[in-house]
Amino acid sequence: MQAYAAKLIDLIELKAENIAKQWAADVMKHNRTPSYSSLPLDRVIERGVEFYRLFRQMSLADIPYEAAKTFSWRYAQECYREKIPLHEAVYALILLRRNLWLYAEFQGVFVTALEKQQAVESLNRTILMYDYVSYQVIEKYQELIKEDVDKKLGSIKTMMMSKPISGIKSIYKSGLMGILLLGACILTYYYHATLGTGVIFTHLFYIPIILASIWWGKKGIVVAIFLGGLILTSHVLFLKAVPFVDDIIRALMFVVIGGVVGWLMDGIKKMEDLYKATI
Amino acid sequence: MLASLKLLDLMADKSASMAKQWAKDVVKNPKTPYYHNSDQDKIIPQAADFYQKLSRVYTDKDPFTAIQGFMGKFAEARFKEKVPLQEALYSIILMRRHIWLYAEFQAIFITIIEQHQALDSQLRTILMFDYITYAFTEKYWELMNLEFARKNKK
Repeated sequence: MQAYAAKLIDLIELKAENIAKQWAADVMKHNRTPSYSSLPLDRVIERGVEFYRLFRQMSLADIPYEAAKTFSWRYAQECYREKIPLHEAVYALILLRRNLWLYAEFQGVFVTALEKQQAVESLNRTILMYDYVSYQVIEKYQELIKEDVDKKLGSIKTMMMSKPISGIKSIYKSGLMGILLLGACILTYYYHATLGTGVIFTHLFYIPIILASIWWGKKGIVVAIFLGGLILTSHVLFLKAVPFVDDIIRALMFVVIGGVVGWLMDGIKKMEDLYKATI
Repeated sequence: MLASLKLLDLMADKSASMAKQWAKDVVKNPKTPYYHNSDQDKIIPQAADFYQKLSRVYTDKDPFTAIQGFMGKFAEARFKEKVPLQEALYSIILMRRHIWLYAEFQAIFITIIEQHQALDSQLRTILMFDYITYAFTEKYWELMNLEFARKNKK
């Protein structure tokens, strides 16, 4: 098969730029690849040349599938970066293969009966190459979507403690929350009972409130209700002389903030699940 | 074009046999792991139906619209089954290979004239599968985006 395809390989190697120019003209005005119309011509031609040179590399490689990977991955990365939809990227590959064949026909490479037979073999080779490349491009393109989403959700995931910490993720969160709530109780007692004032310290309560909402979504509102109840109860017990209105507003704000953050986090979790299910 | 009719007849008459050969391949091909645990009785009719539908549009002057129609349904079915796109597409590539392998096995292109016809048949088959690949990927991409938009609305 290699001997049969040699004629085509030589032609491709020699005329890679010409074939790539022909492909560029085609892909940039084709109605199935509209995203290519706005790309710089030089860049499109360069991509075509890379593809046609791959033909020789694949024919020399022991494992042609592996040899195709470098091109396929770069092609997928560039298409993804340029926001070319996957079906257009795949159709551009089809056009790359088709233009190669058109050029060979136009140059009259396969004329005689024997050459026609060689043509079938050459054609098989170009198709095999295309099969490998299209599979690798689609696989890589989807991988890139997933990586992009993971990267964007990365910081949120860290906050949400999505990654298990030695397999005790849930206990760790509950334990930390227990400590924070205990600290809140001690602070409240100290300020209300010992110092007899209700200033400033309640701002610290937003730490457990927000963390609870991030970790448990809307369910985390329980922590906000608990802390709101704590300052109101403590006020009734220890701050009888101080007006009640301020702490009522503080308690309400705890619940509102906890609720909003929890609602937002549920939305983000839903988006994450969606990406995991779709990709 | 007329030379392609030989392959077309083979595809229409022997769709079940071709589909069986394809199924044996796809359940053990390293690029289609999704299919490795598939029930062959379930996937053979999928391929046989595909060959039948392809044979019906094979000689159409403009086969793209018809291909878009049946490949749209094919893509929807694979999407519902959660077959990864690259594997679904590779299974289609294997379907194309098995048309040719079956034709070679049946030795339908023997004489010099038939060898010439082989090239014509091959070019026609490739054109069909170019349309199939595009229509399938386009529909799958659309379904992925729709699924995303639908879940995002909830």
